[in-house]
Amino acid sequence: MSDAVAADLTEVRAAAELLAFGLQRRARPVEGSDYRALLDRYRTELRFRDVVDTMAEGLGLEALGTPRSGIVLAPEPGGPFATRLTDFRAMDQSERLVFGLVLIGIAAYAYPQDVDFDDPETKLVDLVKVDEFLRAAVDTLKAQEGGEGTPEERARVAAEIYSDMPQLITTQTGRRGRGCTLKAIEDALGWLVDQGAAREATSLGPDVYHLTDRFRLLVADSAGGAALDALRELRAAS
Amino acid sequence: MTAASVVSPAADATARARWRALALTDPIARLVRNAAHAGIDDELFDLRQLALAAVDLVVGSMGFAREATLEEVADDLTALAARMRPDRAHQARDVAQVVLKGLLNEAHEHRRFTYWFADLSGDRVEREPYSFRLLSLREAEYGPVLTASDQAITLFLHGLDVDLEDADRALAHVLQRQLDDRRFDAAVRTAAQAERTSVGIAATLSELLDATRRDVGSHDWLVDVPERLAIARRHVEERIAEDDRFLEHVQSGLDAETSGDVRAASGRIVDLLGRVRQVHLDLERRLVGAREVFLAAQVRQRLTKRRRLRMLALGEDVLRPALDLPREQAVEVTTAFADRSLGVGVPRLVRFDDLLDQLWAPPRQRETVEPVAEEAGLEEAAEEDVQRYPAAVVEGAREVLSAARVTEEGAALSELLEASGDDEVAELVLLTALWAFAPDPAADEEDPDGSVELAGGLEALDEGVELDHRLARGRDLRIRPLRLGVEEEPSIADELEAVGE
Repeated sequence: MSDAVAADLTEVRAAAELLAFGLQRRARPVEGSDYRALLDRYRTELRFRDVVDTMAEGLGLEALGTPRSGIVLAPEPGGPFATRLTDFRAMDQSERLVFGLVLIGIAAYAYPQDVDFDDPETKLVDLVKVDEFLRAAVDTLKAQEGGEGTPEERARVAAEIYSDMPQLITTQTGRRGRGCTLKAIEDALGWLVDQGAAREATSLGPDVYHLTDRFRLLVADSAGGAALDALRELRAAS
Repeated sequence: MTAASVVSPAADATARARWRALALTDPIARLVRNAAHAGIDDELFDLRQLALAAVDLVVGSMGFAREATLEEVADDLTALAARMRPDRAHQARDVAQVVLKGLLNEAHEHRRFTYWFADLSGDRVEREPYSFRLLSLREAEYGPVLTASDQAITLFLHGLDVDLEDADRALAHVLQRQLDDRRFDAAVRTAAQAERTSVGIAATLSELLDATRRDVGSHDWLVDVPERLAIARRHVEERIAEDDRFLEHVQSGLDAETSGDVRAASGRIVDLLGRVRQVHLDLERRLVGAREVFLAAQVRQRLTKRRRLRMLALGEDVLRPALDLPREQAVEVTTAFADRSLGVGVPRLVRFDDLLDQLWAPPRQRETVEPVAEEAGLEEAAEEDVQRYPAAVVEGAREVLSAARVTEEGAALSELLEASGDDEVAELVLLTALWAFAPDPAADEEDPDGSVELAGGLEALDEGVELDHRLARGRDLRIRPLRLGVEEEPSIADELEAVGE
């Protein structure tokens, strides 16, 4: 006898609708909306949750959680919904490294402790503070005695590429120019805004951003683990 | 076996440090050399002194509530350069800019100056990089400001080591002395500086508390912070008492003094001291609450029950190890993180209908100010745009079309096509005729073939005659000079006349 459980087609349709809402960055589960009703169903009905999770899995997605702002979906790498850093702009290896470090820096600044991933309080990040945080991390690393390798090899570590970039270059029109770390952080936060992972907090200042629950859960339950896995693999290989 | 010494053990012991000091002055030597290319003569302007002055100016405002902006330092250097050569004051601005650009390493996109030391102490030679900045730009709430690096400060202002608390105390002594000597102008300046110093202390404390609220592990609350808080508390208690005493001192002088100047200066000091006192009272309030901030952060960050145990401290577990990896390996870690932290991307499939509409849509109007276009390089300028007709063809077409501009009747398209010697000229004449017949305002700005420009002031009318040419078939057109609204729309004056009749 098969273990398969037949799913009701109306349930399947409702599950698909919920995933569609999750894929739209601007959809909000406001009181009385269809999205909200589906979200409540996901939270309370185990069977419906299974249907949604299974469907998501088939689509190359994973439902990470349901904070108040809506269902948070994470793409499987290589799946149809996967996003790559290079989708935003063509970049060479060192640019990819800087933007990657910036994104880790933003996350580490906002969520320094494990407990921060449980905290639904919106985190505020300030562009300049993120840069100072990253530079302080680089300085701490340098201050630690006995780094491995020769001085020449030490000059090739990732920290040096960040440390080598100036904090600020201004263009003729007074804006931040490419090639400085503040511009890289501004761009990275801009992409997070496009992805619904951050919002500009213009009332608090021109360079202040709110990080949304989406970013928190993506970092906590997808990106953080992926980075740790990559580190582990590198250590095992060496 | 150890390697042979380079010169002597004693000399080698300090070689690296001396080499570094030597390297630190190289950017100045380099900027002096490069200045010659910018047409600035080192014998006319003392560029080394200007570089020293730039570091002095920047350091003079560092750590205070308002630091020096690039513009301010450039202005001061310009004034200084103009003083060096009053007869060449017009060059002073350029000189100041050359100095600042050199110190910022603008030739290498503001990156650090890097020099390689050949370490001969081991069995094999090891190249050791030494990287540093002299000046750098930093973003402040009132715009980009200049800061000097530790290296710049150590080398160019040897021995400058300002401890905020001590500076404040020193200022208090200076102020007291100035008041006693009745040097009121100097006292005003000193009181203003005291205010800046106090604001600096308040800002440091505020940063410390913010960092603790964010991450309780960011500062050492076991030994370091309690010590710093104790010192700050003692300092504030002393300062509040001092402020009161000063205020009383100045105010009593104010009551007794009859001279207008002294009364005005004293009034300014009273205002300043009032503000400084307020800063100290605020600082005291923050100090009283500091421990509470730590305890609350401790409870929230360390003692709260976890909803889900992830065992992930990003700074320690991911950021630091990634920073310490060679670039090729680090990029694997950062990319794994970045790709997943950006969330889902919904692929958009192109629909043929939408694509067609988009291709036909008028170009978007740019709302922001156009950036200043860079001048095309010589090579680029010399190349002809392959999308345009060659200049000779455009000229030929212009000549042919001029026949239609001579008389009011103009000329038939068939005649013009016959008159065109070259097929390309004929093609352009044809396009121009079509353009004159049905102008497209959307594509007006693009003008890929030059026909818009040629059709200026022409109109084309369908005469109902058949056209039979090698390049075109259909109705023949009459190309004639454009008559603006003569027949179709009567002017307002005409209408008024008609009403009057």
